[in-house]
Amino acid sequence: MTWADFVEFFAFAIAATLVAGVVCPLIGAFLLVRRTGFYGVALPQFAAAGVACGFAVMPVIEDALGVHLGADEMASGEHSALNIHLFWAALATFAGLAALSVRSRGGTETARIAAAFAIASAATILFAHASPVGDHYVHELLRGEILAIGLHEFDTLAAVLGVVALTVLVLHRDLVLVSYDRDQAVVLGLGVRRLEFLLQVLTGATVATGVMTVGPIVLFGFLVIPPLAARAVARSMAGFLRWSMALGFVSGVVGLVLSKELDWPLGPAVVVAATSVWAACRAASPWIRGR
Amino acid sequence: MIGPLVAAHGAAFGYEGRAVVSGVDLAVRAGDRVAVAGPNGGGKTTLFRGLLGLIPPQAGRVERETARVGYVPQHEELDAVYPLTAYEIVSFGALGRFTGKNRWWRAMPRAEREKASACLADVGLEHAARTQYADLSGGQRQRVLIARALMTDPAVLFLDEPTSGVDARAAASIGGLLTRISEERGVAVVMVGHQLDALRAFARRALWVADGGVLVGDAAELLAPEALARLMSGAGAPAAGGRAS
Repeated sequence: MTWADFVEFFAFAIAATLVAGVVCPLIGAFLLVRRTGFYGVALPQFAAAGVACGFAVMPVIEDALGVHLGADEMASGEHSALNIHLFWAALATFAGLAALSVRSRGGTETARIAAAFAIASAATILFAHASPVGDHYVHELLRGEILAIGLHEFDTLAAVLGVVALTVLVLHRDLVLVSYDRDQAVVLGLGVRRLEFLLQVLTGATVATGVMTVGPIVLFGFLVIPPLAARAVARSMAGFLRWSMALGFVSGVVGLVLSKELDWPLGPAVVVAATSVWAACRAASPWIRGR
Repeated sequence: MIGPLVAAHGAAFGYEGRAVVSGVDLAVRAGDRVAVAGPNGGGKTTLFRGLLGLIPPQAGRVERETARVGYVPQHEELDAVYPLTAYEIVSFGALGRFTGKNRWWRAMPRAEREKASACLADVGLEHAARTQYADLSGGQRQRVLIARALMTDPAVLFLDEPTSGVDARAAASIGGLLTRISEERGVAVVMVGHQLDALRAFARRALWVADGGVLVGDAAELLAPEALARLMSGAGAPAAGGRAS
């Protein structure tokens, strides 16, 4: 396949990868500095569990209520199916965020996130097992094969991540201060609870939409790795956010090239690319930061 | 006479319904320099957070006549994983007063950017504006946080152990800086600290916080070595829910 064919056939997948590559690291940058980077791994798993749960539960709900909710269309690739998946992914992601936000006595936050990841992984497999159609769909989703993305998926991803990016860019100082020094934000009279809630909503929306369009593996890669690479070279917080977005974009481009040239699934290819970018940034860090 | 900037009337502060410190009566006026001292676990930080408005009073009331409150936390409390520069931290001080279109777009006006640079210059760190906070010494970090507080145009400045984790020379320098700020700008200063000699030299009034009670007095008398020896031995210590002055 030539590059012209690749671009023509997979235009939406390419565009989705690059949009996710720019915006997801912006949210990942906040997860990193808030020391909640593991959320970037656990939350997509919650979203996947939510989708699997939808496949398993929707027919049961339809039978019980005697109404048509669209269970038989869930694997159709129609826009309405995407909306149903998004609903279940968002529901599970926000439930995961709420559960992880609860401070309990005993145990560390890392341990709670690890437990949540294990539970979400098991739930994904068990729910998928309960629905043969869902099993196939979720398997494809987890494998990160996103080249079949269509206009509907891209529209949704671009709209949601566009709002997320605009919100973060406008409010980045407020969001950083609330994360960095909450007491100072309270003293300054900022709406601290509103801002914290907003950050949770932005994270949940990014994860739920990302899982449903580009898949969990690409999302893992973009949420976690570009911010780590950016942290190695950034000399300011504003620079850190800009570097995160730029390195996510570069990782997306390199991942697409690897996927096309080596015939790799795009998800793992993006992770390999992001990891290579991270290694390059680590190596270049003394030179870039020392300038 | 101008009224107090911050006043507590029979206030009690604590957590989860349990009062940690009670019977607090205090008025902080323009130009005041107030030290808050006492043994570890005595309730200094709880009192500090209550006066600052970070926790509500469980009893009594706290009145603040000004929204111009500068806050300086301990530099060790802030996470060095954030790649914030000194300038970025100082510019946070402007976030509370964005108006007009900037209220929504959160763009930093030129006047605020210049003010942030001036505040850094005020604390002697104009050369470190682009240096990451994590790369600064303890004393320099504390100065950055003081510059951030100055950025809010404070009428009253609350400092939580500003000389903690810094060497004696840096501590003396910070003390001198705070005295200058207080005298030149008429800013009231409320400072929690452990270094009693430095507190006695800096403050005019002192609060001794121990065993859930507060003792208010002249800093030179209350923090004198003999008085402290009596307080540490338990004689003359404040009773919970009561106040002596």
